[in-house]
Amino acid sequence: MSATAAKRIKIKSQERLGALMREHFLDLDEAARDPQRRVAWCTSVGPCEILTAMGFETYFPENHGALLGARRVSHELIPRAVAIGYCAESCSYMTSDIGSTLAGVSPLTEAFGIDGPPNPDLLVYSTNQCREVQDWWGFHGRRTDAAVMGVCPPSHLGEVTREHVAFVSGLLERLVEKIEHRFGATLDRDRLKEVVALSSRASALWRQVLDTARARPAALTFFDGVIHMAPVILMRGSQKAIDYYETLLAELNQRIADGVGGIPEERFRIYWEGMPIWPKVRELAEKFFDLRTVVAASTYCNSWAFDEYDGGDPIEWMARTSIEIFINRDEVSKQKFLSEMFNRFEIDGAIFHNARTCPNNTNSRFGMAQRVRDEMDMPVLVLDGDLSDVRFFSTAQTMTNIEAFIEQLEECKR
Amino acid sequence: MSGALYVGVDLGSSATKCVVLDETTTLVGYHVVKSGFDYVEAGQVALHHALAKAEGEPADVAYCVSTGYGRERVALANRRVTEITCHARGAREWYPAVRNIIDVGGQDTKVIRLSEGGRMADYRMNAKCAAGTGTFLESTAHKLDLSLQQLDELAMTSTEPAVVNSYCTVFAGTEVIERIKEGQPARDIAMGLFRSIATRVSEMLAVRDGAVAVTGGVAAHCRALVRALEEVLETEVLLPPMPQYAGAFGAALLATETNDAERSSTSHVAHR
Repeated sequence: MSATAAKRIKIKSQERLGALMREHFLDLDEAARDPQRRVAWCTSVGPCEILTAMGFETYFPENHGALLGARRVSHELIPRAVAIGYCAESCSYMTSDIGSTLAGVSPLTEAFGIDGPPNPDLLVYSTNQCREVQDWWGFHGRRTDAAVMGVCPPSHLGEVTREHVAFVSGLLERLVEKIEHRFGATLDRDRLKEVVALSSRASALWRQVLDTARARPAALTFFDGVIHMAPVILMRGSQKAIDYYETLLAELNQRIADGVGGIPEERFRIYWEGMPIWPKVRELAEKFFDLRTVVAASTYCNSWAFDEYDGGDPIEWMARTSIEIFINRDEVSKQKFLSEMFNRFEIDGAIFHNARTCPNNTNSRFGMAQRVRDEMDMPVLVLDGDLSDVRFFSTAQTMTNIEAFIEQLEECKR
Repeated sequence: MSGALYVGVDLGSSATKCVVLDETTTLVGYHVVKSGFDYVEAGQVALHHALAKAEGEPADVAYCVSTGYGRERVALANRRVTEITCHARGAREWYPAVRNIIDVGGQDTKVIRLSEGGRMADYRMNAKCAAGTGTFLESTAHKLDLSLQQLDELAMTSTEPAVVNSYCTVFAGTEVIERIKEGQPARDIAMGLFRSIATRVSEMLAVRDGAVAVTGGVAAHCRALVRALEEVLETEVLLPPMPQYAGAFGAALLATETNDAERSSTSHVAHR
């Protein structure tokens, strides 16, 4: 704990979030044990609204991967996955989750008193974020005999065209048919509209929550964001997520009115590009706090801030939002987005996290950091690390790198 | 000794360096010791000897800046600054027109780019790996049963440097064995190791205009590094008079430049 940590003013809604997460996971655990209920696993920006509308309870394994990283146990579990043929340099969410399954341990036990992830009846993925999910879901499909179904939308898009959206809509319709056929259920289109509207509302509120970091001082930081984003991933399509974000937003707006910031006496505003470094989130939060520097915005937290649903075809909305996301775009579109975010949040410097096992969510590998520096006159820093596997991370090097970056920003300011 | 003294302590992973300046920024004392297991003691010993050379004592120290990986362990420090800023400041004092500073240290290698006005414009540090650092050379020299000095002397006689490509110290060691097996002369293998460091440096040097200087302990002890850098970067590489002390020198200069207002405020970097 740093010497200055005592000055931090906590976000009160976090207590409500803890209770909400507990209710969510206990209910999922109950659903998995109840023969009348069905559980579907889904990728984090996958077609979960279809699953919810068809009566499935949804579980998101990427959240488990993040939890394993945050609890600093990934590096102990990954060797189990490597031993059965999964490359140590492939997605550490995947390898730590597989390792966790093989070891029969889960942080969900300590957190909520449940055995672990709920057993799936169905595994649904979209490769709009990466192809690894296909293989990850495949592992669990072979293990549980649950059906594995997925969509593979076009990736690395520049402009998202009507043809792209129509194609992905077709993929989603085919997915619906397969689920209907397999489970003898019918998708209620009106119910899907309701779920999509709820999802869209939660997402819009989440965007407003993130926007409170535009204030000076920023009402919340990236390190707060990675905690409070849980409902928009795990519970989108439900009223619970909306209620939570309405409460959180009210609190953050009050902080702005009271001049309370995530970082008191904020000096610099940073953009975080790439995945969080889950095992080091607390240490990094304290380092930036000590440096009186706010990580005000990020690509990652913004991944669940979708365009609003206008009441039209819900499948089309799902298709469009699933391929419009940053990670699924080409370098030009990504750079344009970054430029807008830098302006919107009045950013002084950008940090690119080179997550060694997550090439798809790393954007410093094809010269973007240098282009951002040269074309936008934005100081940039590339940090080597990983989302979950601490073996790719050097604390001393990273902290020196961050301090030096702030020293560079100080020199720029003089 | 009369007058205030300004101290820079660079507590690195291999060596701890201390520089003492007087009020006119004249170098009046310096010392280097191995960092060893006890960083606090290493800092104190280096300071003690440097102050002795300056004919001063701790009470004469007006301001102290610490730097290096062990910068948090220097009890006397009023402020802590990264070695990146300190090496840049030190090198700029020796070479006001320098634009690129290469610091090959024990644990990592940094390339610092300065603007025309001498401000830090950009920098890069090697990835989490010993390849391209002093540790890489020491480890490989040890494997060949040579001291770093012997490795350097051998490399300076090379006529056709061997190729050592690996990104990893362990695999580079394997490559060295391959080269030995192939019958390549020891001198060429030795130079190949220095060339591999220079190649790693070249990957971190995006813009290549302006003067280039090299600092750090490896440059201080290995002429072969300077030669390898010049060959790979195809430019003259400036070697300052006290390359190993560049960080400590820069830290001491920053100590002299810290104004009264900054001294009275709680520094964001130093938490004493």
